[in-house]
Amino acid sequence: MIRHTNSNSRGISVFLELGLRWLIGGVFIYASVTKIGQPALFAKSVYSYGLFPGFLINIISIIVPYLELLSGLFLISGVYPRGAMLVVNTLLVLFILFLSVNFIRGHQFDCGCFNPGENVEKPTLFLLLRDIVYLISGIYVFLFQGKRIFCLMR
Amino acid sequence: MIERNIVKEAAVIIGLSLITAFIINFISPRGIALVGQWDPSKGVVSARAKNSVVVAEREIHDITEAKAIFDGGTSLFVDARSHEEYLGGHVQGAVSFPVSSYEASIATFIEKNSLSTPLIVYCSGRECDDSHILAALLLEEGYQSVRVMVDGYPLWLSKGFPVEK
Repeated sequence: MIRHTNSNSRGISVFLELGLRWLIGGVFIYASVTKIGQPALFAKSVYSYGLFPGFLINIISIIVPYLELLSGLFLISGVYPRGAMLVVNTLLVLFILFLSVNFIRGHQFDCGCFNPGENVEKPTLFLLLRDIVYLISGIYVFLFQGKRIFCLMR
Repeated sequence: MIERNIVKEAAVIIGLSLITAFIINFISPRGIALVGQWDPSKGVVSARAKNSVVVAEREIHDITEAKAIFDGGTSLFVDARSHEEYLGGHVQGAVSFPVSSYEASIATFIEKNSLSTPLIVYCSGRECDDSHILAALLLEEGYQSVRVMVDGYPLWLSKGFPVEK
């Protein structure tokens, strides 16, 4: 068994925080791009969840991609990383909630996660597990108490 | 307990996102209306984007009206769904014209059907806008009368109207 010294563990956790922060930031930026390019298609994905009142669907479709984009950019650049992580984690909790409701009631829908309007989507359970993994990583980054590296503005 | 500073940071990010989102949506040619048409009872659902091709005036909301046009025998029914779906069953006498193969098929379609032929386009129902996309393209080509049967093939089939495979 390999035993890390305290400074080694600290070093690993610093790079783990950076890696997860960049990963989540990158995923959120990537997820936002196609939605921003095709807002009408993304709105149709939001509609397909069957969870939101009609008057809110367009507002959600306009705002969410930019929340994802800006949070992702803030995470990668290290500007307000904890604030950005709070936004991302809140979004993830909501995504998990909406996916769970549709999973439980067996409702067919277009996730709209990365490619709105694309019919080929992963099973809801896979999407749920993926978001849970992101959320666990996000909580780690949010609660991280050590020195954050590559941060423009902590 | 989340520190107040973190909440302030999050509020800054949310505020910037809201401002950016609404400004870009306002100036983008692909921007959508603040409220869409998401009530299927009122026609094909749509986000009402600036570049939307969904035009309510083209829609036939009552499938019995479409059946009466069918019985008149002067209009051509055009199936905008995929070719596989068409092969699975379609309105009797309808021709297959998937939107995805528009460029490859339009020349042959015009050759076989004069621009004065009245067209009734359909797809899979009120949550599908392929019929509207195809209708807009055909009108651009010069077709004089193109209407959209919004309930599409599923309701036509369930009403027991003539179909073929």
